[in-house]
Amino acid sequence: MIVRTRRLSISRVLLMTLFVLGAVISLFPFIWMLVGSTQNPNDVVRGSLRPGKEFLLNWEKINSTYNVLRFFFNSMKIALVTVALGIVVNSLAAFGFEKYRSKARDRVFGVLLLTLVVPQMAIVIPLFKQVAAMRMLNQHIAIILPSVMSVFIIFFLRQNFKMFPTEIMEAARVDGAAEGRIFFSIVIPSMKATFASASIYIFLAQWNSYLWPLMTILSDEVKTLPIAMSSVMRSYTIEYGGLMILVCISTFPILLLFLAMQRQFVQGLMGSIK
Amino acid sequence: MLIQNKYHRYLNRTGWLFIIPALLFYAVFMLYPIFSSLFLVTQKWKGLTREFVGLGNFVRMFHDMIFWKALGHNFLFMFIQIPLMVFLAMIIAVVLNQGIRRFRGVFRTIYFLPCVTSLVAYSVLFRILLQTNGLLNNLMINLRIIPESIAWLNDPFWAKMTIIIALTWRWTGYNMVFFLVGLQNIDGEIYEAAEVDGASKKRQFLSITLPLLVPVILFSLVTSTNGTMQLFDEPNILTNEGGPANATMTAALYIYRQAFVLNSDFGYASALSYVMVLIAGVLAFIQIKVLGDKKS
Amino acid sequence: MKKTGLICLLVFLLVPTLYTFANGEDEGAATGELTVWCWDPNFNGYSMKQAAAVYTAQNPDATINVVDIPENIEAKIEAGLQAGGVGLPDISLFQDFIIEKFLQNYPGSFVDLKAEGIDYSQFAPYKVGPMSEGESTYGIPFDTGATGFFLRTEVLEAAGLAPEDFYEGMTWAEVIALGEVVKAKTGKALIAYDNTSFDFLRIMVQSTGEQFFRADGTVDYDTPAIKKSLGILKEMNEKGLLYMAEGWNNWIAAYNGVDDVDAAGFINGVWIVGTLKSQPENAGKWMVAPTPRLDGFEKGRNASNNGGSSWYVFSTTKAKTLAVDFLQNTWAGTSPEALDFYNRILKDAGAMGTFLPSREGSNYQAEDAFFYGSQPVFKDFSNWMAQVPVLKYTPNYSAMRIALNNAMQLMYAGDLASVDDVVAAAATEYSQISGN
Repeated sequence: MIVRTRRLSISRVLLMTLFVLGAVISLFPFIWMLVGSTQNPNDVVRGSLRPGKEFLLNWEKINSTYNVLRFFFNSMKIALVTVALGIVVNSLAAFGFEKYRSKARDRVFGVLLLTLVVPQMAIVIPLFKQVAAMRMLNQHIAIILPSVMSVFIIFFLRQNFKMFPTEIMEAARVDGAAEGRIFFSIVIPSMKATFASASIYIFLAQWNSYLWPLMTILSDEVKTLPIAMSSVMRSYTIEYGGLMILVCISTFPILLLFLAMQRQFVQGLMGSIK
Repeated sequence: MLIQNKYHRYLNRTGWLFIIPALLFYAVFMLYPIFSSLFLVTQKWKGLTREFVGLGNFVRMFHDMIFWKALGHNFLFMFIQIPLMVFLAMIIAVVLNQGIRRFRGVFRTIYFLPCVTSLVAYSVLFRILLQTNGLLNNLMINLRIIPESIAWLNDPFWAKMTIIIALTWRWTGYNMVFFLVGLQNIDGEIYEAAEVDGASKKRQFLSITLPLLVPVILFSLVTSTNGTMQLFDEPNILTNEGGPANATMTAALYIYRQAFVLNSDFGYASALSYVMVLIAGVLAFIQIKVLGDKKS
Repeated sequence: MKKTGLICLLVFLLVPTLYTFANGEDEGAATGELTVWCWDPNFNGYSMKQAAAVYTAQNPDATINVVDIPENIEAKIEAGLQAGGVGLPDISLFQDFIIEKFLQNYPGSFVDLKAEGIDYSQFAPYKVGPMSEGESTYGIPFDTGATGFFLRTEVLEAAGLAPEDFYEGMTWAEVIALGEVVKAKTGKALIAYDNTSFDFLRIMVQSTGEQFFRADGTVDYDTPAIKKSLGILKEMNEKGLLYMAEGWNNWIAAYNGVDDVDAAGFINGVWIVGTLKSQPENAGKWMVAPTPRLDGFEKGRNASNNGGSSWYVFSTTKAKTLAVDFLQNTWAGTSPEALDFYNRILKDAGAMGTFLPSREGSNYQAEDAFFYGSQPVFKDFSNWMAQVPVLKYTPNYSAMRIALNNAMQLMYAGDLASVDDVVAAAATEYSQISGN
């Protein structure tokens, strides 16, 4: 019996070591980007892990060439507006598909699911012509509108709405509530976690999006953070320290957002695979 | 009866009203672009110059070994990286759920974090990290894990490994959360009963946990498959435009290059796009079958 | 219900087409607004902003916005041309090797500047060639990519070599011999080589005066110039004389360190000087030798070119008169202000123009203390620039270089054993990716 416990504790230590190692691997790039933002550009490239003293210098250099705060606010604005529109449009659709089922709508949903697998690349070229024809190029609206409707988010929300008891809706109808009111004042408040995790999804996808903004953004004032990072990488002389600051600025806000809303996020995920 | 019918029609109309905004967005930003480019596939379309080639683009495609190689890489990543990642995610989740009590929440959070990083950000970091004289090689040489530097970005084999490692780093924790959720849905009493019957941990995992996790495994596989079919950003930025020597070229990246880098051949690029849509459609069909079976 | 849906759909599909009818008016000269694209705020972006400042000082009613476009400006222009010019600026910079493709695939999309009165006899001929088609010439040459052999003298010293060992007229055979000395004495590679880039081979082939394409525009890999160059690269790689870097950043890091470097030097265009000077600690260490030449080529020189780009005006501009007037009086201008501007961007940004009158500027002649023995590097580069043999690009240059570079990567990885295999593999890939 004693032998058994001992063996167990050894394997436990081993397990713990492996998990700590895994955690280090997961966290390493985050730590490194912080360290890198304080270093001389050469040390960044050489992969040194010793913190430097050049954070302010790096910031001054990058901020004199680029309007870093502007990029931040652009990214934030685009992501938030997309979340607001996306949540409304997609949750209405998901609710319509799930709680007002009909053969025709089920078929429509089937078509939507099919396009879930259409690669973005396949529509980027015609979509660009479309957006250009609509005179939206170089405006944030060109980034926002095409990403409002998301089949994945509709699918995700629909899975969650399955859990919402139809009886409550029936009861509300008996009380004379209109369908829209049922949705806005009964369904939404009772499924906050679901909406929170859908919002995080949309926010993350838009905050990090790269290819489409790269094609539609044309001038400095409307650039987003990922585009700014790739601008810096393109220079003949790369300001690595400043680049690391941009990397930090683009990473840590969503990190905080995630940490703050972690509980809701996981709860929302639960609904999607039940 | 009449009232019933009228009420039914009212609900039906409400149903359409709910989904119409989404359908409008869908029509303008998805359907229209897809169908408006349909006629392109019959053209050799270089810039503003066009020439009707009928099925010529498809004939060309059959002889284009680079495209098939690229598509092959999509499937390679699908069959190697995804199972590896899903397996890892499952093991981590199971251990977090049963083996490790202390710091469970901390581990869960840390393992999840990589998937929130932006693609550009993590590509920058990985590129510097994986240089031949970079941090990873130096570290492994010092620890005597490898005798000499590995050309992570320059060697055709290791470049593929780089993509696999990067994808695994970024998405394992994300999939782990699905498994954690799935595990929470399993009733603890089953394990207690098994314990009483004297079943070993390994046995418990194989005959209780694993079968109950099948739906989650399928869900993870399906969502990851979609991402892998569309793989573009990592080979474009991390391994430098599908290099070395096309070793990490993917279908989406190749299409992009045909249109925007090589010779502006939007007709050929469109033809390739439709082939990809077709393949994706077949995969989607299989997925819906698989997910559909899961429900029953 | 069905009808309403259909109408909604139709409206949404039609609106975009209706929008396309809107169009603008041409504005008068010296007033109005121009948007210019470029990609490096420290280099070409800086230079263009200086040009804009010179012009707006004399024409206060004109506004010129210089925009920094990240990664792959060519893809963006391609997308804009596809969309019939929507989203394009008035003027853009791009690499010289792209223009022939654009002229072929997008006829009528660029303003013929020769017809607008620009005098092209004042620009370096090798820049004007690719942007000309029949009687028309479309761009304003920006910078030269005249190449030099950049070397760190302290590494040479450690190997017991002197700067004079790298001299005008030297051949690759001699370079290899010196490289072996450096390798034996210091353990370092002679040359930092970017494995993802085609630049090096292009420099070698252009220096021979030979071409990648036949006169009819079809690709020809099986030539003495290409095979000899490949043979030299293969030999140098096998002897450990090349430091294989993965991509641009890694390549710069290989030679631009302060205390320690992986390679003694590299070969590239003059525009890299700004990058070197971003490490002020290295002042006095660098020297620039002429580009080595290949034996046995009648038109061969100790000079070549890599990179370099030019400004183009899109036909869709609403301010053509202003755009032309602006370029005419700055980049193609002989006024004291314009020449002074060329002189300044050389010093401040390392941007070396190809406008011949500007070569008289003081900074072109000056000794530069950043380089070993205060070498007058820009004077040297001007001399080399005048000798650069002309390279033809054709619309298939991108496909040509990608196919050959991929085959070369397989050669370095040991997957292709002989130069003939490399040439054959490149030809196969070229026919597949280009459809020719």
